[in-house]
Formats: sequence, structure tokens, C-alpha cells
Amino acid sequence: MSQAATDKPGSPEPKRSNGFRISRRAFLGVSGAAAAVVLAVVLALKRPKLAEPVETQTDSVVAKQDLIPTSCLNCPTRCAILVRKVETTAGKTKVVKISGNSASTYSEGKCCSRSHVGLQVLYNPDRFPHPLVRKAGTEKGRAVDYDNDFEEEDWGGALDRIAERLTSPDKLLILQGLNTTSNEDLIRRFALAYGTQNLFDEEGLETAADRKGKMLADGRSDSGYEMVSEDGTSTKYILAFSSGIVESERPLARNLRLWGKLRRELPNKTKVVSFDPRYSVTASRADEWLPINPGSEGALAMAIAHVILSEGLHDADFTNDHTEGFNGYSTLARTQRFSPESVSEISGVPADTIRRVAREFAQSKPAVAWSGEAATSWPYGTLASHAIYCLNALVGSIDVPGGIVYQQQPPYAAMPTEGLAITDTGITFREMADLLREGAIDTAIGFNSNLIMSVPESKEDGKWDKVLKNLFYVHIGPARSEMAAYADIILPACTYLEDWGYESAIPGSGYAEARIKQPVIEPRDGSRPTARILFDLATRTPLSAPLSPIESNSEAFAEDFAKYRTAPLMGWDDFKDSGVWKGSSYSYRNFAFGTDSGKFEFHSDHLERLLNVGLPGEGTDYPLKLAIYRPVLEIRSGSQNFPWAQEMYLVMHGRGWRNLVEINRETAHEHGIGEGDELVIESTYGEIEGEARVLEGMRPGVVTIATGQGHFASGRFADGMGMNPNDVIGTEYDEESGQPSFFATRVSIRKA
Amino acid sequence: MANWGMVIDLDKCVGCQACSLACKAENNVPHGSPHEQKRHHDIYWHKVIAATEGEYPSVNTQIIPMPCMHCDHPPCVNVCPSKATYKRSDGIVMQNFRRCIGCRYCIVACPYGARNFNFKDQVDEEYQRPDLPEDLGLSNEGHIGPWPYPHRTRGVVEKCTYCFHRVDQALENGEEVGSKLDGHHGVLPACVEACPTEARYFGDLDEPESAVSKLLASRTYIKLREEMATSPKTTYLPR
Repeated sequence: MSQAATDKPGSPEPKRSNGFRISRRAFLGVSGAAAAVVLAVVLALKRPKLAEPVETQTDSVVAKQDLIPTSCLNCPTRCAILVRKVETTAGKTKVVKISGNSASTYSEGKCCSRSHVGLQVLYNPDRFPHPLVRKAGTEKGRAVDYDNDFEEEDWGGALDRIAERLTSPDKLLILQGLNTTSNEDLIRRFALAYGTQNLFDEEGLETAADRKGKMLADGRSDSGYEMVSEDGTSTKYILAFSSGIVESERPLARNLRLWGKLRRELPNKTKVVSFDPRYSVTASRADEWLPINPGSEGALAMAIAHVILSEGLHDADFTNDHTEGFNGYSTLARTQRFSPESVSEISGVPADTIRRVAREFAQSKPAVAWSGEAATSWPYGTLASHAIYCLNALVGSIDVPGGIVYQQQPPYAAMPTEGLAITDTGITFREMADLLREGAIDTAIGFNSNLIMSVPESKEDGKWDKVLKNLFYVHIGPARSEMAAYADIILPACTYLEDWGYESAIPGSGYAEARIKQPVIEPRDGSRPTARILFDLATRTPLSAPLSPIESNSEAFAEDFAKYRTAPLMGWDDFKDSGVWKGSSYSYRNFAFGTDSGKFEFHSDHLERLLNVGLPGEGTDYPLKLAIYRPVLEIRSGSQNFPWAQEMYLVMHGRGWRNLVEINRETAHEHGIGEGDELVIESTYGEIEGEARVLEGMRPGVVTIATGQGHFASGRFADGMGMNPNDVIGTEYDEESGQPSFFATRVSIRKA
Repeated sequence: MANWGMVIDLDKCVGCQACSLACKAENNVPHGSPHEQKRHHDIYWHKVIAATEGEYPSVNTQIIPMPCMHCDHPPCVNVCPSKATYKRSDGIVMQNFRRCIGCRYCIVACPYGARNFNFKDQVDEEYQRPDLPEDLGLSNEGHIGPWPYPHRTRGVVEKCTYCFHRVDQALENGEEVGSKLDGHHGVLPACVEACPTEARYFGDLDEPESAVSKLLASRTYIKLREEMATSPKTTYLPR
């Protein structure tokens, strides 16, 4: 173009080596024509299918479509869903859409974003096509190479190999990740029949301390926050203690639906106050965000109790009639050390604000105090959970509409217990860790286990990496995952969309609800239902009792078992049609506590430990406190190999395919860190690297990282993206429940 | 003729992204990759954005779901040299992929970032939608061009359609369309149907008894970038 540009009247003739003369107009004309030719060629080459699709599409006309009721399993809420399946005239079958099932009143026919990802769970390109057995001499863990480290085996051979290992019940560990309720029942029964105590439920990693603290008070493990009762009574005030009510707190879909109701559909809008170090989605949606120091939730709860009791705002009818230990608790709470002024120094919330919130909380009925995972995953987690839970009793929100309710269970058909080797099974995280450290375990079977990603010190060459490498490990799950990388044998179980079973509603509604699981399509690639795998394993192992409570055979067992168990609820065909069974309405004010005294028990022993909060600060090598959180699109089944979930991962930051190191702007400034910098996060347990996200919505001195990333063996859409904060988190246990405390680790940060 | 519009209650929305995911499934919108996200090449017919203001501890983040605004005066239609994008008489702003020449003027003109350029052929066979017919064969006025979603066309601009295929089919079948305040909704766009908090409403803005009209009459509302005189028909109810 430069030549043509100089070729204008009056300008000296440009020097041309070949003597070829060309005017500006001619040049433009020629180059335009050339460009058109090139464009036409490019278009012809690159878009050969321009007219073609219309023809190929004519083959793809829907011959038949079905809406199949089943239930989700991308988180423990297990919502009822409808799955749309189409068959085309070309003979192709495709599952194309997932939506909520309006027969379920639990979440009013809604499902959350996680349910939609189910399509990609089903069509995950990194599912196992057949059973795999590890070749001798290959390395487990991060170095895994699924294509070369394993050889194919047929189902019979793989099951025989596992059965050979099952000779000593004490040396077997069963790991249970997220499974269908019916499969959980069978896994438990398998453990009882085989006679092993060593069954670890990985849900305990997050909830053990919280549950234990509540059990101390009411002796029940099935308490939930009702929020809106069937008659429309709603909670008027929610005090969220680092609780991601609309982000991760179960039951999520129900929480989301009722959140909409509480905010705008009922006559009086519910007030929500969020104590949280992080400006979480819940905090941002709440009426008030009160940033606190991590770990001070329990102390804050005691300060609120201090105000309520000092000012006589508590529900004396409830505390007089239905509680035990109130006087001791009241005396302790009213001591000076739990005064708003003292706790203000620990928590960072002004004393006046604590007073105001306490008064509002006590005077708006029904009100609930909701403890989140971040409030209870501490060395004193059980105590924190107990302190927060006791606030509900102080204001009389126990077993009343809109308060705490106790979840009823569907009356499933009983399973005979005769002949089972033992009567109870299950161990805490701490007990499991001790067994493994002592070398008492030689074989482990994991059902959808996600252990290595979710334990503290998960890093390479860390404690857990070494332990798992030394075990003979059998992984049962549909697709690639980090635990499969440690496996000696992999059995491809089918996904929840190909499985038979039943699900029970988790605490929240009070009334019972059961949901069916039925296959939307036949198990892909010859994968098998977990129930069938257990049945086959049981018949191969010299067990003292049969697994199945009924006459059945390998192939039909999964359906037969679900049918047998749900027979008392409704007819099998009706259940398959509607997908949902609902129990009778919840009756309130039973006060059926499971404690020794039969009353709600206030415990006041050791509560002063709640004041030992390590504050972030300079003067140590690790001045910052590291907290983790679970974003809504962390699929809780352990895999994250789902591109839809990955690309929208962090809604508050508009980013996907990664997690970020989130820090307050001031703190970042002090450390010379800017937005987008590559950082090294270091603790005494190790280092990880990640991208900095500098923001205002964070307590200074706190670093937060979302979990769910940092995968290394889950497949093409998950591996190598982001980091796993558990790699640098240390193992400290909650005394009472044995749950690891994920929030107590201090870190330092620097630019990479 | 109806005048379709959407109302989104920002007080109810919690940014769970069910809308964005339902849209991807319904309209067979391909997923992106880390590389594409970095270059803003990934396609979202609907996305949720978060806008933060204020300083610690007085922070305020607005989570805003962003479908197409289906403007009454759509700047994208004005700039389109090939008349590939047009407004139907029921107010839905459409894109005809057969006419689109991929010049992307409309992407520049749209003040809401609602439009996407399709840079790639769909590679993932798995996520194709064999159930979507190649053409709805509807007589509905203003509907021209192929029904493109079972197979995507590279090199054209794509956008949200308020799920016009659901709306048109419902009208053909004589079904009701739109949200109801009592919860007994008619046929809805996928994002509205999927919203677990029921923060989204869809309906006829010209019909005074519709849920959307009633909500707009009873609460203050905002329209994004009103100063640009686009008159969006997606409206937000602030907290």
C-alpha cells in the first residue's frame, strides 16, 4: 500500500525495479479482486458444510421423547429432577435437558445450577470404558497415565481379584464419597455383613464437628433449618455464621427457592445478617455483612447470648420447660469475658453492633442462627457449633414453624439384621488417620471417593499421598478422578443417571420425601450399578450373611433392591411415574430430644476455648490466615471435568477454569501485590501457586481460595487448572468429632 | 401481538448460574476453554456479571443476570449491513444466520455485550441436539431463516432469542405463555423456567394483567444504560 499511497499527481515518480507501473485505482481494484478470490477460496475451504447441515438435519427428527423422573447427585441435596431424552428417526438416543420435578415440594420443583451439569456427568469423555487393573511396577498418584498404567480386565476377573483381598475384616477400609442413599445403605450393609468397623463417610470431613455440636445439645443428628413451613410461616431473622446459605450450604436448591420467597414473596421480608470474613455471595445478598476474624464465630455466638441473657430477652418458657444445664450456661455466658466489649476485640465487630444484632435476633420470632462450615472446621469446632446452636434454643426456635425441625425419614422396608457380622460401623476422620498411620489397613475400597482432594496435607509426597500409595486400593466410580490415580483396580460404576435407587430428603423440610433413581439410558460402555458390584462382590466373598434382603440375581439386583425398600411408600410403577413420594405433614413441638435427660442440654464445659482465636497479624512468619470456600459450581461428586461448570466457576469474579487467591486490597498493598500477580502461598506444610485477586470484600489479613480446582487426574476439562488449597492446609483435629480443622492454617504470600 | 419482556428481581437473584446453564443446554450453546475465555471468544447467550463498588467494609456487589435486552430501539439492527438481525413484531430481536456475514458491527454497537461471534465449528458431538428440528415450520410472522441450533454455523453472530422457539410453539399449540404471580406459569424461556429463586419473570408488557406488568407497576425498576435510548425490554427490580 505504501507504493500506491505515494503515487499521486505531482509527487516524484516512485522507483520501481521491474518497471511495472500501476495506478492507485488499478491497484485497489486488483487487490480487491484478489482479496475477493482469496476470501471466496477461504470460505469455500473453511465452510464446506454451508448447505450440508440442512440435509443431515433432516435425518435427525425426533421420533420419540420422554421426560423421565429421577434424582440428581451432584451434591448431597439429591433433588428430584426430570430428564428429557430424545430418540431420533436416525436411531440416535440423546439426553438433552435436565429440569426440576414439580412433584417435589421440598424445593418446590426447582433444582440448582449443579443439576444442569448432569448432562456432562453422563457424557463425560473421560469415563472408564471397562474394568482396569494396574500393571506391575507403575507409579501411583500424580504420575498416573491411564492409557499405559492399566490393562483391561473383564468384570468377573476384576471382582475375583478384589475378593481375594477380602480375607481380614480389620484390615479393610471402606471410603464412601457422595453416593445415592440406596447405595449408601448397601455399602453400610456390606460393611456390617463383612464385619469391618472401618467405614469412613467423607461427608464427615465437612460436617462432623457441626453435627457433633448440635448432637451435644439435642441428641439428634437430623436437625435442619426449615425457613418456610408448609403453612407459610417463615423465619423472620437469619443470623448466618460464615454460612454460605445460597452458595454451598445444604440443602442448596431448597435454600435457593426459599431465599426467593423470604426476600420478596411473603408479606414481611426476612432480615439476614451475615458474619463472615469474606464478602461471600450470601453476605452480598444479605441485609448486612459484618466482617469478622476467621474462627471468632463461636465467641460471637456467646457474646450474643451474653446480651440476650443479661437483658432477659430469652424465651423463658422454652428454657424452663425443655432444657437442662441452662443455669450453668447462663452464668458462663454472662461473665465479663463474653461481653460484647471483650468479644469485639477478638471478632472485630463493634460492641454496639453485637448488642443491636442480639436484640434484633431475640425480638424477631422465629429467628435462627445458622452455623456454616467455616464456623465449625476448627480445633474447637464442636464447641463453636454448640454455642451457635444454643442461640436457637435461647430464642425458642427449636421445633417450631420456621425454626429448627427434625427430619422425618421415609418408612422404607426393613432389612433383616440376622447373620450380620457386626451391628454398627463407621469411624471418624481421626480414627481413620490413626489406623492408616499405624499400618493397620492393607486394603481400601472407595465408592466415588474423593479423599485425596479433600483432606488436609493433600500435596504430593504429603502424608496422604504416601499412605494411599502403600495401600491396595480399589476405586469404584464412573470416571477419572484423583483417587482412581491411586487405584490398583478400577471398577466403572455407572453415573446416577443410569442407576436404580432411592434418595431421602436431607434435613430441612421436616416432612419426609423420597425420590426415585431410575436409569435414563442403559449404563454406558458396560458400566454397572454400584448395587450390582456390591452384590457380585458379596457372592464372591465368604461373608457370614447375604447382602441382599431378597431373592435376586446380579443383573436385576439394583432395581429389585430399590423396589423392595420403597414398597411401603407406594406402588413401584406409580413411583417410577411421579418420581417423588411425600410423607405426612410435620408435627411441631414434639421436643423429642435424644439426650440422656430427654431435654435440650446446654453444655458449658470448655466453652471458654472459643476465645482462643488466633488473630491474623504481623510478627509471625505466617501473618495471614487461609480460609477455603465452596462455590456453587463445585460439583460435589469429586470430579470437576464438566466444562459448563468450569467456565462459570467464580461468579463473583466473572472468571472460570481456575480459582484465585483472594485478598483484601490493603493487605495486598502491604505485600506489594497487585491484581493478577502470580503468587506463592506458603505454610509450614508446603507451597502452592495461584493468581492474585485483589478486592474490597475481604477482611484484612485473610486469604481465601475456592476449593474444587487443582485436579491432576480427572480429565481434560479439570486437570492443571487452579490449585488445591488443601495442599498447604495442616492437619489439626477437632477434639470431639475428629474432623480436621480446615481453617486454622496460617500462611504467607509473596510474588512468584 | 404480544410485546415480550423480561423482569429480573435483583433482590431474589443469588447468582447461582442456573439460568446460564439452562440456556446452554436449551440452545445447544458450546462450552469454551481457558484459552477462549482469556480471549473472550467463548459464547454465552446469557451470563451473570458481578459489579462491585465501595471500599472495605462498605462493599456492595450487584449480581446481574444478562440475557439480551431485546431493545425497542435496538442499535444492533440499525448497524447491520445485511439485515441479518431484525426485530420481530412481538419485540424479540432475532439473528438470521443465513444472512449474517460475520462483520460484527452489531457486537460493537450493542451496549450490553449480549452478542457473541462464533469462532469455531462445534467439535463436541456429545452435546449436539438431535431433537431440535432444522426448521420449526412455523407460519409466525417475521420468522425467516433456518432453525440453526442442532448444528452451529461458524463465522456468524449469535444471541439470546428469549427462547422464541418455545414461545412460538406454545402459541401454535394454543398454550399460555408467561409467568404468573400465583406460581402457575405458562410456557417460559429456559432461563426463567430454571431460576430456583424465581427471580425472573417473562410475559407480555402490553398486557396490564401479566406478571411482568404488575411487577413493573408495583416496584421501582431500572433499565440498563437508559441514556442510550435503546429502551430495553429486559428490566431489573433493584434490591
